[in-house]
Amino acid sequence: MARGFLRASDAAEAYSFALQEIAESLGWRVGAAWEPGPGSDAPLRCVAIWTGRGGDLRAFEAATRSAEFHRGQGLPGRVWASGRPAWIVDAAADAALPRRAAAIASGLHAAFGFPLRSDRGVVGVMEFVASEPHEPDAELLATMEALGAQLGQLVERRRAEAFRHAIDRRHAATLAAALDPVVTMDHEGLVLEFNPAAERTFGYPADDAVGREMAALIVPPELREPHRRGLSRYLAGGPARLLDRRIEIDAVRADGRRFPVELTITKIDVPGPPVFTGHLRDISDRRRAEAELKASRARVVQSADAARRRIERDLHDGAQQQLVSLALTLRMLRTRLGQSDLDGAGCLLDEADADLAQAIAELRELAQGIHPALLTDGGLGPALRMLVGRSAVPASLMAAPRQRFPATVEAASYFVVAEALTNAARHAGAKDVEVEAVHADGHLVVRVRDDGVGGADPEGSGLRGLADRVAAQGGSLTVISEPGAGTTLRAEIPCES
Amino acid sequence: MPNSLLIVDDHPRFRANARRMLESEGWSVLAEARDGSEALREAERVKPDVVVLDVGLPDASGLDIARRLCARHPGLAVVLVSTHEADDYAGLALEAGARGFLAKSQLSGDALQRLLTG
Repeated sequence: MARGFLRASDAAEAYSFALQEIAESLGWRVGAAWEPGPGSDAPLRCVAIWTGRGGDLRAFEAATRSAEFHRGQGLPGRVWASGRPAWIVDAAADAALPRRAAAIASGLHAAFGFPLRSDRGVVGVMEFVASEPHEPDAELLATMEALGAQLGQLVERRRAEAFRHAIDRRHAATLAAALDPVVTMDHEGLVLEFNPAAERTFGYPADDAVGREMAALIVPPELREPHRRGLSRYLAGGPARLLDRRIEIDAVRADGRRFPVELTITKIDVPGPPVFTGHLRDISDRRRAEAELKASRARVVQSADAARRRIERDLHDGAQQQLVSLALTLRMLRTRLGQSDLDGAGCLLDEADADLAQAIAELRELAQGIHPALLTDGGLGPALRMLVGRSAVPASLMAAPRQRFPATVEAASYFVVAEALTNAARHAGAKDVEVEAVHADGHLVVRVRDDGVGGADPEGSGLRGLADRVAAQGGSLTVISEPGAGTTLRAEIPCES
Repeated sequence: MPNSLLIVDDHPRFRANARRMLESEGWSVLAEARDGSEALREAERVKPDVVVLDVGLPDASGLDIARRLCARHPGLAVVLVSTHEADDYAGLALEAGARGFLAKSQLSGDALQRLLTG
């Protein structure tokens, strides 16, 4: 009976099988199985009923299917409450029975019930009804009580399996519905699961992928051995370097095409050897968007720098040249006038010469602020020497590169130092500033350290603008500015000289 | 005493004023050039004592042209000029092999003489 009970496709079929076996072996007409619903106060409900051939049992079957019994009510409720078998000699004679009328209508009389027990207690009740009155049979009840203990265990097993199946179905449905690839791998590196998104992304049907080594399937050739070594190292008790964090790595499709993915590997908590699940996300679109954004920012900065150079050049070629020519003309006039003053004309000329010198100097400063010509003509070293030399706070240039760099890199570095020197004088109250620019390992590193009050806001518009300018070159700007401990700006820009 | 000149600048007004002023002070301007290539050719042709050379030329950096002139004509004195501040460019001018640097607004025969003899 146990085998048939467990083989049944669902609980109702399993109960029907057991009810029929028992009822037919006893020669009783009706068998019913009862289970409490979910929740502590839920009543018993009929979950399966078997009726024998012959006679009209419809009234009792209908009453049984629609009945609900709380603890102590009716025969099933009494068995449930006591946890012991119970016997009714003749239901037709017991006016207190809830289904008495139905029993009379169906020609039923004797009935007994017994609990289905598991380790959790009473998990259900079975009852059987005969077409004649019967005196209680203690031996039969003892047998049925023992059988109820076995059936209770089977009910529990069935429930556990059904619970597991439901979890498996939910898991499978979740994997199937996932938009991103999910690949599960065992401790030998073999694929256990390959969801539909993985099929679409990598181009392998799940049937092909499952059972094959994951490394050979989706890991680029040069990363396969490191992957295998990492798995072996972990299984031997080594540190988990990749587990439970997001990494970005290349993966490879069935057709050999590579693409970037974001990968999270999690160890699944299951008995036995470890199982790992990889959640992957194709980030090709994101990478393209990032690259485009970076290129676009670089173009914006490049174009702004070019515009600044153009304005500086226009000032140089236009107004500055005109004023310089005027200065030379005035000087020639003064020379020709000699020592004579001709009604104060000499004095007026000297005044005009001084005013002109002032105008030239101011225009030069203006052009310098827009774009330093010295940076274009001489490169970063001379331009930084000029900045340090003109700094309002005593400043030292500790190191400067002699070689030239791309114009946008030189401009970004120059403006980092210019802004830092301005901040040191205007906001930090610094008394000393150190500037250095060093090219090493394909990076230009610019550092400006002052001994001022610190506490600079990296999100302030000046520093934010600098960070954007540096980021547009693929670099990074770090601001260290603890209150009372001075400020250090460090820009690192990837570049070759 | 050097007194023959080649003036190199892409601004005709400056070339004209510089020529007039320096000639009035006794210098002999042998030729003018508008860019770096012309400067190299004219220097070869007229063999001046001094080249007054603008830093910003349309076809090349005046600093590069200074290097090439000094390499080709070892006795030649090159003086770089610009609208920029003299202090900023003096170092660059010397590195390029020039005798020195003058802000254009400060250009004069005396200033040239001081650079050449200083």
